Amino acid sequence: MISQFFILSSKGDPLIYKDFRGDSGGRDVAELFYRKLTGLPGDESPVVMHHDGRHFIHIRHSGLYLVVTTSENISPFSLLELLSRLATLLGDYCGSLGEGTISRNVALVYELLDEVLDYGYVQTTSTEMLRNFIQTEAVVSKPFSLFDLSSVGLFGAETQQNKVAPSSAASRPVLSSRSDQSQKNEVFLDVVERLSVLIASNGSLLKVDVQGEIRLKSFLPSGSEMRIGLTEEFCVGKSELRGYGPGIRVDEVSFHSSVNLDEFESHRILRLQPPQGELTVMRYQLSDDLPSPLPFRLFPSVQWDRGSGRLQVYLKLRCDLPSKSQALNVRLHLPLPRGVVSLSQELSSPEQKAELAEGALRWDLPRVQGGSQLSGLFQMDVPGPPGPPSHGLSTSAPPLGLGPASLSFELPRHTCSGLQVRFLRLAFRPCGNANPHKWVRHLSHSDAYVIRI
Amino acid sequence: MSSNSFSYNEQSGGGEATELGQEATSTISPSGAFGLFSSDLKKNEDLKQMLESNKDSAKLDAMKRIVGMIAKGKNASELFPAVVKNVASKNIEIKKLVYVYLVRYAEEQQDLALLSISTFQRALKDPNQLIRASALRVLSSIRVPIIVPIMMLAIKEASADLSPYVRKNAAHAIQKLYSLDPEQKEMLIEVIEKLLKDKSTLVAGSVVMAFEEVCPDRIDLIHKNYRKLCNLLVDVEEWGQVVIIHMLTRYARTQFVSPWKEGDELEDNEKNFYESDDDQKEKTDKRKKPYTMDPDHRLLIRNTKPLLQSRNAAVVMAVAQLYWHISPKSEAGIISKSLVRLLRSNREVQYIVLQNIATMSIQRKGMFEPYLKSFYVRSTDPTMIKTLKLEILTNLANEANISTLLREFQTYVKSQDKQFAAATIQTIGRCATNILEVTDTCLNGLVCLLSNRDEIVVAESVVVIKKLLQMQPVQHGEIIKHMAKLLDSITVPVARASILWLIGENCERVPKIAPDVLRKMAKSFTSEDDLVKLQILNLGAKLYLTNSKQTKLLTQYLLNLGKYDQNYDIRDRTRFIRQLIVPNEKSGALSKYAKKIFLAQKPAPLLESPFKDRDHFQLGTLSHTLNIKATGYLELSNWPEVAPDPSVRNVEVIELAKEWTPAGKAKQENSAKKFYSESEEEEDSSDSSSDS
Repeated sequence: MISQFFILSSKGDPLIYKDFRGDSGGRDVAELFYRKLTGLPGDESPVVMHHDGRHFIHIRHSGLYLVVTTSENISPFSLLELLSRLATLLGDYCGSLGEGTISRNVALVYELLDEVLDYGYVQTTSTEMLRNFIQTEAVVSKPFSLFDLSSVGLFGAETQQNKVAPSSAASRPVLSSRSDQSQKNEVFLDVVERLSVLIASNGSLLKVDVQGEIRLKSFLPSGSEMRIGLTEEFCVGKSELRGYGPGIRVDEVSFHSSVNLDEFESHRILRLQPPQGELTVMRYQLSDDLPSPLPFRLFPSVQWDRGSGRLQVYLKLRCDLPSKSQALNVRLHLPLPRGVVSLSQELSSPEQKAELAEGALRWDLPRVQGGSQLSGLFQMDVPGPPGPPSHGLSTSAPPLGLGPASLSFELPRHTCSGLQVRFLRLAFRPCGNANPHKWVRHLSHSDAYVIRI
Repeated sequence: MSSNSFSYNEQSGGGEATELGQEATSTISPSGAFGLFSSDLKKNEDLKQMLESNKDSAKLDAMKRIVGMIAKGKNASELFPAVVKNVASKNIEIKKLVYVYLVRYAEEQQDLALLSISTFQRALKDPNQLIRASALRVLSSIRVPIIVPIMMLAIKEASADLSPYVRKNAAHAIQKLYSLDPEQKEMLIEVIEKLLKDKSTLVAGSVVMAFEEVCPDRIDLIHKNYRKLCNLLVDVEEWGQVVIIHMLTRYARTQFVSPWKEGDELEDNEKNFYESDDDQKEKTDKRKKPYTMDPDHRLLIRNTKPLLQSRNAAVVMAVAQLYWHISPKSEAGIISKSLVRLLRSNREVQYIVLQNIATMSIQRKGMFEPYLKSFYVRSTDPTMIKTLKLEILTNLANEANISTLLREFQTYVKSQDKQFAAATIQTIGRCATNILEVTDTCLNGLVCLLSNRDEIVVAESVVVIKKLLQMQPVQHGEIIKHMAKLLDSITVPVARASILWLIGENCERVPKIAPDVLRKMAKSFTSEDDLVKLQILNLGAKLYLTNSKQTKLLTQYLLNLGKYDQNYDIRDRTRFIRQLIVPNEKSGALSKYAKKIFLAQKPAPLLESPFKDRDHFQLGTLSHTLNIKATGYLELSNWPEVAPDPSVRNVEVIELAKEWTPAGKAKQENSAKKFYSESEEEEDSSDSSSDS
C-alpha cells in the first residue's frame, strides 16, 4: 500500500514521481523529503522517517534516492526489499542505474512501475516475468569518446584492442529483444574491492578495511550453468590456511543464494545458474591484515611561518604497487586553513595539475606508475590577523585547519586482497551461435584513504 | 555503489547530465530539437500534430515526450483530447504510454476521460488475457465517480475470468473501487469471498491484500479457506506471501488457544517434532496433556517453515514474526538463524532486523545467545547500527558470556567514533547493574577509563560510575577520592556536576576531602556552568548540615554568591537552601528535618532498555519500527481462553482427505506446473499481440 514512489537525484531533483493512490499531498512531498534528509547531520539518515502521518522509506543507490511513502502500517521489510528490487530492475532494463539513464528512459521507467505496482500493491518484481509485459525499448547512451574509437580498427578490421572491452560495455540493458543476437551471449564478471585506510600522522597504520564483491552480469539465457574458479590459496577466517604460500585470506564471505558451494571447499570453485541480469555472487571483507603493502604512502612536510603567513607544504607521494601496475585518476585532497589565497606550485611532472578549490588543495595525478615517486611543493599565503611575532623563521607545528589529506584513486587489474578469478567456464553452449564472450575485470578503488598530517 | 557505474560516471556521467538538463525533452527524438527555442505552447502544438499523424513512430515519440513531461512535473493536461484518441491504438507500446497518461490526468479531466471508457469495455472482452487484464487495471485506476457501476460490473466479470492473471487484476481492482466509493463495500466483499475460494497461487496473494484493506475484520471469510491458503503458501509469489502470513498470524491468534502454557517437558521431544505428521500426531496423543495443539495451528507453523529460506527479506521477517507470535516458545528458536542471516544484507535491512531482534532479545534471551558474535560491532557500521548492536549485546549479556563481552567493549571504547564510545560506556554500566557478579569488575574498568585522554570518554564514565555507586550503598571511598582528584582536570559540566553530587551524598564517608572540594569550588564558583553551580550549592548545604564547624563560612559565602547570580534558578535554589538550613527566628518546623531532607536515601536510577515498551506492537510492522501506532495498524488479539469451534474450517470431507495425505507435495508440484504452463501461454499471447 504504497502511496507514492519517487526517485531523486543526489541534488534533490525529482527524476521520477508517481502517485499511486491519489491520497497524498502531491509533488511537494518529494521536496519535503529532501529537506528532511538534508536537515539531518552527516549521512546518518534514518531508514524510516515520519512526517505528519506519512512515512518515508528510502535507500540510496548509485547516488540516487529511491523513496516510497506510505501512510499505513506495512512491513518495512517489504518496502526496503521492494526498493532494492526496483533498483536491480531499473538497472537490468535501462543498462545501469544513474541520473542520466533514468532521465533518458522515463517512459520505460513509468511502464515498469505500472507493471510492478498497481495502486501501491506489488504485483511482481521478477525480471523474467516482467519481460512479457514491457514494450518500451531502453535508450542506451553511446558516449562519444576517443577511448571507444581506439577499439575500432582501420576499415573496421578487428584489432588486438578488441580483446579489451570498454568499461561501459556492461552497462547496457539486459532485455533488448530487438537488438542483434550476436551481442547477447556475453558474461561480465567484476571483482571489485573498496579500500578504506586510515594512517596516523607518524606514518603508522591505524585501520585498513577491504570490502570486496564479485559481481556478475549475464546476458545469457537464464539458467545456463557456469563455474567460477577463484584463487586456490583463498581462505576464510583467521585460523584456516591453505597451501604453503602466504595464502589469500579474508575475514568473512557471503554468497548469493543461487551459488552452489559443492566444490568450494575442495577446489574453490563456485557453481551457479544465474538469472539474466546482474547479481552479486559473493561478498567478502578483510580488515587489519593486508597481504600486500598499501598502494600509496604520503610523506608530507609542512613549514609554517606565522609571522608572514607563509605556508609551505611539501608532499611526496610514493606508489608501492608492483611496477607493472598503475593507478588511475589519483586525486589528493588537502583541506587548507581558512582564507588561503595564492598558490605557487612546483610539480615533478607536467601532466599533474594542482589547484585551490573550496578551501582545499586539489592535486590531480592522472596516472601513477607502480614504484614511482612523485612530489609537489606548494606555497600559499594565509592572510589573517598577524600572529604573535614569529619565534624563529618557521615552526613545524601546522596551522589550524590543515589536513587530513585524503586520496582517491582507481587501481585497474589489481585487488588488494590478492583474490583473482582463475577461470570462468560455461557449461552451456548456445545453439547455433558463436561462443559466448566472457569478460573478467579486477578493480580496486578507494573508499576513504585518509592520511593525517 | 557499484564500481561499474562508478567508473562509468567518471567518464561520461557529468557531461551527459548537463546536456540533458539543457535539452529537456528533446533528447528522445531528433525532430524535437527545434522545440528548444519555441515557447511551451508551441511545443505542445507540435506534440498535438505528432499525435494526430498517421505514423506510429511519430505518435510514439510524442507519447514518450509527454511522459517525460509528466516525470518533470510539467502540466500536460491540455493534451488530453489528443492523447485520449490514441487509446484505441493497435500499437501496444503507444497504448501503454497512453494508459500511463490517462491514469495521471483522468481525475482532472473527468468528462474527456469518459471518451476512453468504451474502448476499455471493448478491451475487457478481448481474447488476449494480457489486454483484458491491463484494460481492467487502467479502467479501475481512473478515479471518476460516474463509472463506478461500470467498474463494479467489470470486476465481477473479471473475477470469473478463466485466466488467473485477469482474476489477479480483478482482486487488485477491488481496493481501488473501494477507495473511490466505500458504499460498494458489501458487493465487493462478495467478490472477495468468491476470489478467496480461488485455487490459483497467482490470485491468493492479491485477494488477501484486498481482504486486508476492505474488510480485515471479516475473519469468518477465512475459515473455509484457511487450510487451502496454508497449503498454497509456498507457491504464492513472494509479495503475496508476506501479506498472507501477516493475515494468518492475526487469524491464528483469534482461533487457537495459546500454546505457551506448556511446561518444559515438551523440549525433550522437540527434536522429533518435525520428522513427520504421523509421528507428531502420535506424540500429541501420547502426551496426554491438557493442551494439544489444534492440527490446523500446526499446519500453519509447519507450512511456513520452508519460507525461512526465502531470498526476500520481507518473507523471512514475516515468518519470523509468525513464529514469534503464534508458535510454542520451544520452537521459536529456529527463526534466530534466519534473522542473523539477514544481517548480511544492505544496511537499511540490517537496521530494521536489528530493531526487531532487540525487542525479541529482551523477552527471550536464549534465542540469540548462540549468535552473540554476529552482533559484534564492525568499524564500518554506521552509528545507528552500532548503537542497536550494543543494545542487543547488553540484552544478551549473562554470567557466562559477560567476560568476553567486556573484553569486546574494551576495544569499542577505544573507537574513533566518540558518540559510539560514549554509548559503549553506558552499555557497560547497564551490564554492571544487570549482572551482579561483574559489578565490581565493571566499576574498576570504568575507573581506569577515568584516566583516558579523551574528555568525552572520561565524562561519560563519571556519569555512569555515579549511577553505579548510587545503586550500591557499599563503601567506595577510594573511587570517590579518585574522582575528587579529577575535578581539577575535567571540564565537561555533566561530569563535574556528577562528581560533586557524589561527594555530597557520601560526605560523611570522605570527611577530609569534602570540605576541601567545597573550598576549591567556592573559588571557581562564578565561572562554572549553571548545572555545576546548583550542585556546588547542594554540596555546601549537605556539608553545612554534617560538618558545620569547617564549612559554615564557606557555605555562607557560596549562598551570598548565589544570591546575586544571573540565573534565576540558582537564585531560587539559594533562597530555598538558606531558609532551610540556616537557623533563624522565622524558620519553621521544616529546618529541623533539613538533614533528613537533604541526606535521604535516594532511589537508584533504573538503567533500562529503550526497547522495553516496543513489544506491544506486532513485530515486523512499521508501527514497531517507528514505535508509534501507524494508521491501519491491526492489533494482535490475545489468545482466546477457549478455542472457537474448529469445525468451521472443515471444507468437504473429500477435499480435506486429499489435502491431508502425504501426497500434498505432489499436489503442490502439480499446481506449480500448471502455473508455469499458464505463464508460457501468456508469453505466447504477448508475442502474438506484439506482432499484430
